[in-house]
Amino acid sequence: MRRGYGKSFVLGGALSLAALGVQAESFNWASTTDPQTMDPHAVNSAPVLSFLNNIYEGLVRRGQDMSIEPSLATSWVPLEGENGWRFNLRQGVTFQDGAAFTAADVMFSYERASNEAADVRSWFAPVTEVRVVDDFTIDFVTSAPNPLFPSSIANFMILDADWATSNDAALPARDAENFATLNVNGTGPFTVASRDPGVKTVLTPNANWWDEAAHNVTEATFTPIGNSATGLAALLSGDIDFIQPIPLQDVEQVESREGFNVLEGEETRVIMFGFGHEHDTLLYSNDVTDVNPFQDPRVRLAAAHAIDMASIDRVLFRGKIEAANQLVPAGISGYSEANQSRPDYNPDRAKELLAEAGYPDGFSFGLKCTNDRYINDEALCRAAASMFAAVGLNADLSTGPVRDYWPQLREDDFDMYLLGWSPGTFDMEHPVRFLLHTQDDEARLGSWNFGNYSNARVDELLPLIQQEIDPAARQAMIDEIVAITQEEVAYIPLYTQPLIWAAKDNIKLTQRADNFFMLRWVTVN
Amino acid sequence: MVYFIAKRLVQSVFVMLAVAFLAFSLFRFVGDPITQMTGVETSVQDQERLREDLGLNDPFIYQFARFTGDMLKGDFGFSYRTRQPVAEMIATRIPATLELGIVALLISLFVGIPAGVYTALRPRGIATQTILMLTLVGVSIPTFVIGIILIFFFGVQLGWLPTFGRGGTVNLGGWETSFLTVDGWRALILPAITLGVYQLTLTMRLVRAEMMDVMQSDYIRFATARGVPMRRLYFKHALANTMVPVITIIGLQFGGVIAFSIVTESVFQWPGMGLLFLESIRFVDIPVMGVYLVVIAFFFVLVNLIVDLLYVFIDPRLRIKDVS
Repeated sequence: MRRGYGKSFVLGGALSLAALGVQAESFNWASTTDPQTMDPHAVNSAPVLSFLNNIYEGLVRRGQDMSIEPSLATSWVPLEGENGWRFNLRQGVTFQDGAAFTAADVMFSYERASNEAADVRSWFAPVTEVRVVDDFTIDFVTSAPNPLFPSSIANFMILDADWATSNDAALPARDAENFATLNVNGTGPFTVASRDPGVKTVLTPNANWWDEAAHNVTEATFTPIGNSATGLAALLSGDIDFIQPIPLQDVEQVESREGFNVLEGEETRVIMFGFGHEHDTLLYSNDVTDVNPFQDPRVRLAAAHAIDMASIDRVLFRGKIEAANQLVPAGISGYSEANQSRPDYNPDRAKELLAEAGYPDGFSFGLKCTNDRYINDEALCRAAASMFAAVGLNADLSTGPVRDYWPQLREDDFDMYLLGWSPGTFDMEHPVRFLLHTQDDEARLGSWNFGNYSNARVDELLPLIQQEIDPAARQAMIDEIVAITQEEVAYIPLYTQPLIWAAKDNIKLTQRADNFFMLRWVTVN
Repeated sequence: MVYFIAKRLVQSVFVMLAVAFLAFSLFRFVGDPITQMTGVETSVQDQERLREDLGLNDPFIYQFARFTGDMLKGDFGFSYRTRQPVAEMIATRIPATLELGIVALLISLFVGIPAGVYTALRPRGIATQTILMLTLVGVSIPTFVIGIILIFFFGVQLGWLPTFGRGGTVNLGGWETSFLTVDGWRALILPAITLGVYQLTLTMRLVRAEMMDVMQSDYIRFATARGVPMRRLYFKHALANTMVPVITIIGLQFGGVIAFSIVTESVFQWPGMGLLFLESIRFVDIPVMGVYLVVIAFFFVLVNLIVDLLYVFIDPRLRIKDVS
C-alpha cells in the first residue's frame, strides 16, 4: 500500500516535469528572502549583494572557487611611493543603457558607497583618497599598506554616474525610495526586465556584456518563497527549476525522486559558542552568583570537551557537517594549518577540569540561541545543553528569533551564546577584526565580540596582519593568534554550516561557498 | 440612516486609534529594526546614527504621536525594509487579499448553504452523515496543514494546479485582478478552498441548526398543512428566516478571513497583505506593521457596518425599528 503511494508520487513528479520541459531556456528560481532593494550600496546583506552581482559588477569579482579575478579592472598593482592600489580599468565596457564605463563612474560609485547614507561604507574605512589618473586608471590610496584591499571590494558595484545623478539617485535612499531602489543600470550579464518587490523579479541577459556568456538562460524569474514546504512543493511540481536553500530534513525527499538533484557544499560560516568573558558574574545561575566561572579558561575548555560533535553531526545534520577548529574553515586564506586540532569529546576530562577550577559539582548558567538564523540552531542548542549537563554544566536554554537576538547580545544579556560567522572578505583577518579584537567602537573594532574577549597580543597583531605583504610572515602572525585563542578557548568553534540547494537535474549551476547564486553559470539542458 | 453610517465611521476612527496604540506598545518587543536593516560590518556608530535618524530613540508616546499624526495627514511613511511608501505597498497587496477572501467566502456560501439545508432536511441520510463527518475533519485540521495537503496532492502529485503565487493577473486601473485569466483562476482555487474550509463548515452547521429549528416552528407546520409546495416552503419561508443569524456570523467571520488569511497566504506564497505583514515582522518593519494593523481594524469596522445594513434589507421588522 505504502509502496504504491510512493511510486505514484514519483510518476506524478516525472509527468509534470515532462510537461514543463518544453520551455527550454527560461529559468525560474526561488529563495527565502527577496532582495530589499536594487541599490547596490544601500544594504550590505547577502540576499541583496548576491542578487545584484548578476546585474552590477565590481572592479574585481570572485570566480567559481571564490578566487579573485579581473572584472571591470583588468589589472591592479600597488602604488609606488605611497600606500594603496592602482586599478587599470577595462575599456569598451558599456552600461545597460548604453553609456560608456570610465574611471569617473568608479569615482562616483566610491563617493556614493562611502557616504554616510550607504550601508557598505565600512569597506572603505582604510581609504584616504581616490584619484582618477585618466579615463581608465584610478588610484585608491590607503592609510597603511593594505594587501587585502582589492579582494575586500569584490562586492563594491559600479553605477553609471550620469544615470544616477540625472535620476536623483546620487545617494542611496535613506528614508524614501529613489530611482535606484527599483531600477538598475549595471554592466553585468543580466538586467532587470520587471520587478514587483516581494513577488517576482524577471531578469534578461545583457546582450552587450563585455564578457563571453557561459550561461544559456534567455529569461530568469526570481520568486521569494518564505515557507520552506511551499518552496519544496514548487520545486517538485516543476513550477521552479532551482531553490536555495532547502531544509536538511527535505534532502531525502528530493533525492528519492527522479529528475532532481541536491547540491551540497560547505558554506564558509562557522558556528560557535561564545562566552561573557567580561562579565563578573553569571546572569542566569541559581547556584553560582558571585563570580563568572567562564572567566577561567579551564571551565571554557571543559565546556569544549563536553561537546560530542560526532553525535551532533550524525543525529542533527545527517553527516553533512565538518567540525571546526578555528573561526574560519579550511580553504579560507589565513586558515591556520598549524592549529588544526580541536578539543576532543571527553566528558571525563571536562569533569576533571571543572573540579580543578573549583566546581566539582558543576554549576548552572544561561545559554542563548537563535531559532531561525542558522540551520537547526535550536536543535543544536538543545543537544549541546544536554551534553553540557552530562558534565555538570546545567544550561538554562532560551531561544528566540534573530530579530530580537542581537540586541540582547549587545546588552550583554547572556552567559553563553550561539554565533555563526562568515568571513565577508574570505580571509582570517575578518573574524579577528570583528570577533577577537577588544571591543572598540571608536576604532570600529570588535563590534561582534559580544563577550569582549580581550588579549593584548591579539590586538597588537591585528594591524600587523592587515598590513603585512609577505605571506609567510603574515601567516606566522595569524598562526600565533589562532594558537592564543585556542589556548584560551576564546570561543568554542563547532562546525562549518552546510549549504544545501536543490534543482531539477537538467539544470547545471555553480554553488559558491559564499552562498551567492550566479546566473552567469547556469545552463538549462 | 446617513446619521447611523456617519456615527459608525466616526467610531471606527477610535477603533483604529486604539489598535494603533496597542500595536505600537507591542512593537518594542518585536525586535530591533536597525540590526535587520544593516549588514554585519556596519559600525556601531552608523547604527546609532540610523537609529537617531529614524526617531527610534524617542519615547514611545512620541513615536506613537508621530505615527498617528502623519497618518491623519495622509502620510503613511516609508518601509524600513524596502524604503517604498507604505501606502503604496499595502495598496498593491489589497487586491490579492480581497479577491482571495471573496472567493473563499463565495465557496463557503455556495457550498455551505445548500449543504446546510440538505443536511437539515435529511438528518438521517447517509449523505448527511458523510457531510457532517467531513466538515468535522475540515474544521479540526489547521489551515496550513490543509494547504500543504492540497498543494502536495493537486500541485505536486497530480500536477493540475500551480503550487504558489497568483498566476496571471490583469491590471485594471491599478487593481491587479486574478479574475480575468485562466491562470489566475487556476492559482486561486487551492488557496481559496484552504481559506474557505473553516467558513464553509461553520456556515453549513449554522444553516443546518437554524433550519432544523425553523422547521419545527408553528408557521411552517401551518404552511405545510395549507399545502404550500415543499420547494417554496423550504427556500422561501424557512431559509429566509435562518438568514439573519447566518449573515451576522458570516459577516463577522469575513473580517477574520481577511485578517487571518496570513497563514494561507504564507503557505501559498500569495502576495497579499498577510504575506507582507509576515515579511515585515521578520524585518521589524514597524511602519508597515502599524499601517497593516490599522487597515485590518478598518476592514473589521467596515464589515460590521455592512452586516448591520444588510439586516435591514433581509428583515423587514428592523426597518420599522430604525425609523424610531
